[in-house]
Amino acid sequence: MQAISTGEFETDFWKDAGARQTWDQIVPGAPRDTKPYTLTKEIIATFAEAMGETNPLYFDEEYARKTPYGGIVAPPTIHILLMFACTGTEDWMRSPGTINASQSWFYNVPARPGDTITMQGRALDRYMRKGRLFVIHDNVFTNQNGDVVCSGRGWTIRPQ
Amino acid sequence: MTNKTTEQHFSEINEGDRFEGTPFTPSRETIKRFAEASLDFNPLHFDDNYMADDFGKTNFGGVIMHGMQNFALITRTLTDWLMPRGGYHRRLETRWLSPVKPGDTITPKVTVSEKQITDKGRWVVFDVAVFNQRDEQVASGRAMAEFPDELTIAAPLAAAE
Repeated sequence: MQAISTGEFETDFWKDAGARQTWDQIVPGAPRDTKPYTLTKEIIATFAEAMGETNPLYFDEEYARKTPYGGIVAPPTIHILLMFACTGTEDWMRSPGTINASQSWFYNVPARPGDTITMQGRALDRYMRKGRLFVIHDNVFTNQNGDVVCSGRGWTIRPQ
Repeated sequence: MTNKTTEQHFSEINEGDRFEGTPFTPSRETIKRFAEASLDFNPLHFDDNYMADDFGKTNFGGVIMHGMQNFALITRTLTDWLMPRGGYHRRLETRWLSPVKPGDTITPKVTVSEKQITDKGRWVVFDVAVFNQRDEQVASGRAMAEFPDELTIAAPLAAAE
């Protein structure tokens, strides 16, 4: 399988680390900069394989066409990729040492090959607890028809 | 797929029903593949020197698996159980309780905690707990699935009209 990461994606999260907002600088309510991302069958298959998925619904068009899904869809977890694919290298979710504490996601229509996905994201809140610095964020992913694919909230512990 | 209707499948699900996911053993190789597929290259998952240090009050003592790999394992456990029954995965909420490291083996355990019928839907709520090979709980979660007569929400646009 081909790796999804291409030359245009910076895999060194230390690079530009100084340009990213820290806990002190993050403004709850302010939108994160995002860009649309288009899914392909190859991206979906590579992603599904790495998630450990074996369901042919994510890999086999002929099989998928006969299911109620009517064709290949992405696994619901595709937002894991979309969060990084739709943001740039200065996005604070890339800050080295960002620790994922909790996540909650609601799923609407599935994402499909050929879909161009748009992300709206922002921090909602930030607080400190027992010496740790937390940020709550939310993300909404929509397809090119304006249908919501999924919406989620996350709690991260910020590096300090 | 069986010939049962989704309603029949739903009626056969009982509070207290349990099922388990396939055990998963992360390695540095699976962590690398996860990073390449998700574009999450946080050094928490790669850099031994960095991970020898303290993080505020936390010291992980080595690289850790992506929490979202655990999220994906739970999701797969749910969807593999739901799809043959006509169920549609609607929600998953998780908390990471302790880190998972290369060489650990984790297994999600799911319990049906609630069933509800609303104006427009049939719903099942699940409690999720993920354990490592030492029987320590590494994650907890709650999930919801819907059991519609027809999966119109998941059908392609043309077919849904």
